[in-house]
Amino acid sequence: MAKKELSAEERSEKRLMILTPIVSVLLALIVGAIIIAVLGKDPIQGYAAMLRGSLGDPAKIAKTLERACPLVFTGLCAVFAYKCGVFNLGGEGQFIMGGCATATVMFGLGLQGPVGLALGLIVGMVVGGIWGLLPGIMKITRGLNEMITTIMLNYVALYFMEYVFKNLYSDSGLPKTLAIPQSARLPQIANAHVGVLVAILLGVFIWYLIFRTSFGFKIRAVGMNPVASKVNGFPVKRLVLLAFIISGAIAGLGGAIELLGRTPFRLADGFGSGFGFDGVAIALIAQLNPIAAIFVALLFGVLSTGGTMMQSVIGVPTAIVEIVRGLIIIFAVAGMAAVKLPKIRAFFAARQNAKVKKAEVNA
Amino acid sequence: MAELLRMENISKCFGSFYANKDVTFDVREGEVHTLLGENGAGKSTLMNVLVGLYQPTEGKIFMHGREVQITSPGVAVENGIGMVHQHFMLIDAMTGLENIILGDKRHDTPLLREGDDRKTIEGLMDRYGLEIDLDEKVANMSIGMQQRVEIMKVLFRGAELLILDEPTAVLTDLEVEGLFEIMHSLTSEGKSIIFISHKMREVMRISDRVTVLRRGESIETVDVANVTEQELADLMIGQKFQESTYPKVEDAGEVAFELKGVSYRPEVKHGGLKDVSLAIHKGEILGVAGIDGNGQTPLAEVVTGLVKPESGEVYGPDGKEIALFSPRSFIKAGLGNIPEDRNKMGLVGDMTVAENLVLKQTTSDKFSAGHGKWLKMGEIHDYANKLREENDIRCTSVEQTARSLSGGNQQKVILARELEGEPKLLVAVYPTRGLDIGATEFIHNQIVAQRDAGCAVLLISADFDEVLKLSDRIVVLFEGQVMGTYPGANPPIKEISLAMAGK
Repeated sequence: MAKKELSAEERSEKRLMILTPIVSVLLALIVGAIIIAVLGKDPIQGYAAMLRGSLGDPAKIAKTLERACPLVFTGLCAVFAYKCGVFNLGGEGQFIMGGCATATVMFGLGLQGPVGLALGLIVGMVVGGIWGLLPGIMKITRGLNEMITTIMLNYVALYFMEYVFKNLYSDSGLPKTLAIPQSARLPQIANAHVGVLVAILLGVFIWYLIFRTSFGFKIRAVGMNPVASKVNGFPVKRLVLLAFIISGAIAGLGGAIELLGRTPFRLADGFGSGFGFDGVAIALIAQLNPIAAIFVALLFGVLSTGGTMMQSVIGVPTAIVEIVRGLIIIFAVAGMAAVKLPKIRAFFAARQNAKVKKAEVNA
Repeated sequence: MAELLRMENISKCFGSFYANKDVTFDVREGEVHTLLGENGAGKSTLMNVLVGLYQPTEGKIFMHGREVQITSPGVAVENGIGMVHQHFMLIDAMTGLENIILGDKRHDTPLLREGDDRKTIEGLMDRYGLEIDLDEKVANMSIGMQQRVEIMKVLFRGAELLILDEPTAVLTDLEVEGLFEIMHSLTSEGKSIIFISHKMREVMRISDRVTVLRRGESIETVDVANVTEQELADLMIGQKFQESTYPKVEDAGEVAFELKGVSYRPEVKHGGLKDVSLAIHKGEILGVAGIDGNGQTPLAEVVTGLVKPESGEVYGPDGKEIALFSPRSFIKAGLGNIPEDRNKMGLVGDMTVAENLVLKQTTSDKFSAGHGKWLKMGEIHDYANKLREENDIRCTSVEQTARSLSGGNQQKVILARELEGEPKLLVAVYPTRGLDIGATEFIHNQIVAQRDAGCAVLLISADFDEVLKLSDRIVVLFEGQVMGTYPGANPPIKEISLAMAGK
């Protein structure tokens, strides 16, 4: 690949874009620490507990990875749609429908073993894609705002899942489905299911697709300027529809993997709950970079699994973790908006100039 | 004449960039003072400082010899400074009267007192010869009358100093005459006018004095009586300026593209086409003259495949009637397009220069492997650097975003991309709008070179001088209709400008 020559200003801008999320995470942790201190507990002890609880030993790391895994999928789902300029807030619905479809393959068709596993994953992905296609069709043909339709479809998916686990495949009348048969579950590597690996590979693949293929090129062009894309002969509507489908398929695959890989291996109340919006937040913090999204999802996983440990060690509610997570989102989004402000840009540009001049003087 | 305004040593920085540097000039009572300069010379910044939109980094402003701090547009109005913007700030759905009194707080009551205001305004209309239909909605007014509403807004608020920012750009020749009469009656009543323009002929005619700005600095203030047009042009660009002329083609080749009786939304006065027939020949530039908003946009949309005409026939380069209207099929048939709005339609601003240069070719075997699947990043980079050299695109790197380039360089990127495809038909819409003289020359040379290479060129421009300079044949559009076709060599200028006004 050709080496990129960038001007000093652009380099400083790039650096700012990387620094902003890191600084916002640190700020959020500091504010979280203050809150813990105000509650009369020791924040350092708390954070230590959080780290031990999430990354303390291989088993805990595996648990954290499994917790982060669905968020990688919903994060990538949001990233892909946003890259094409559409705001898919329906990651959760697509995730759930993927899970429901997989459950149908298992219990409806009665498939088991590797065949069931493979078909479950594929059908989950396809149905997720279809669930993403619906708002796409509504947007393209009738101009309906996808932010509204995707959220609405989330509810449809949610109540459909309730029907599935309460009526269709209920485990002896309880509000949960039967468990996925042992033979059709995802295999494990080092205590974590292989879905984690799939998620990471998918992140790299999506990055490659977006930044290194001509298909991704067109997706990006449409996302940044649909009018110019049209004038320059891109099939804009088709690309937007494809973006909806792929975005939905990613989330659907995530739902299938969640069901087939992670305890309790069943659909029940709370399956996929909040994952869609977490995915949106992850995409924003990762600045729409698929590989960065993997790391942000991991951070969210650490916060979730570590939060429980923090609660039991220093006795603060897990809500603290929710607060920290919310703060990260606020700081990151505000920070990214702030670095785009002319005054702040001018400040950093001036600093950069001063540095260059200093270097010249030294030389 | 007494001095009304004095701006002394005004500097305005944005970061490390000086938009204005040590600018000094003054306006006397009852004079028309022109600010002359190329795009980016700092005229707008200076005026934004004067009307309180920007705070100067350094420098002082005096009104009637007293120093004033213009901290907001409101303060500017209190000091009797009013600006008529190039793009009108009117509310289309409201009447002339409503627009004029909008936001004015002269009455103590919270109620509108339209009757009183109407009397005041009618008095002003008589005094300055401003003809406005106060009860007509702005949407239904001619551009000239909309401008008079803008001027009245400023007068109604008691302005002594009016800033007219490129007021003639949108007017027909006839309306320009009307505007100049109004300007005369304003100055004879003691009002002063700052006139911003780069049209030499007008500047020479209407101004008393001219201040030339160049690269943010005030170069010189001269009495119009003592200079020639050529001297002003030289001052403006800072060197001897020799405008190039191009030989005209009179015996063009066969027809490359033809419209027959094309209509598109003919019921819309300022956005439709009515029964338009024209033919573009190989190796000629067909210029479309006309005042902005008389069908240029829909014409461009039809010939680039963005919209399908409601009736009529369109014939492509192969002589066959075109049935499918999509930019994609037009590009395949050999269309090169320099669109109306380079940022909105021509470039993807957040993508790099290199990416914009290959925008149309990402699936070609040259730039992608596996039949248009994987991009060859190295090839793209080298190709971009090659085009950058050839077209003198000034940027620090081709990996810079297209948005960060200047207008002229952005246009060069588009031109490089479009011409590399060796188009059979080149459609150039306002190709030099907002560009400085150097970039304009470059673009003109390239367009003429395409013609000489046998390409059919359709040039749509609201800049009459540009159309005259480049066109081998001239078509005039008025309210969506073709008013006539004229030869490009020794064009009957008078006839054409009458046609542009619909006569």
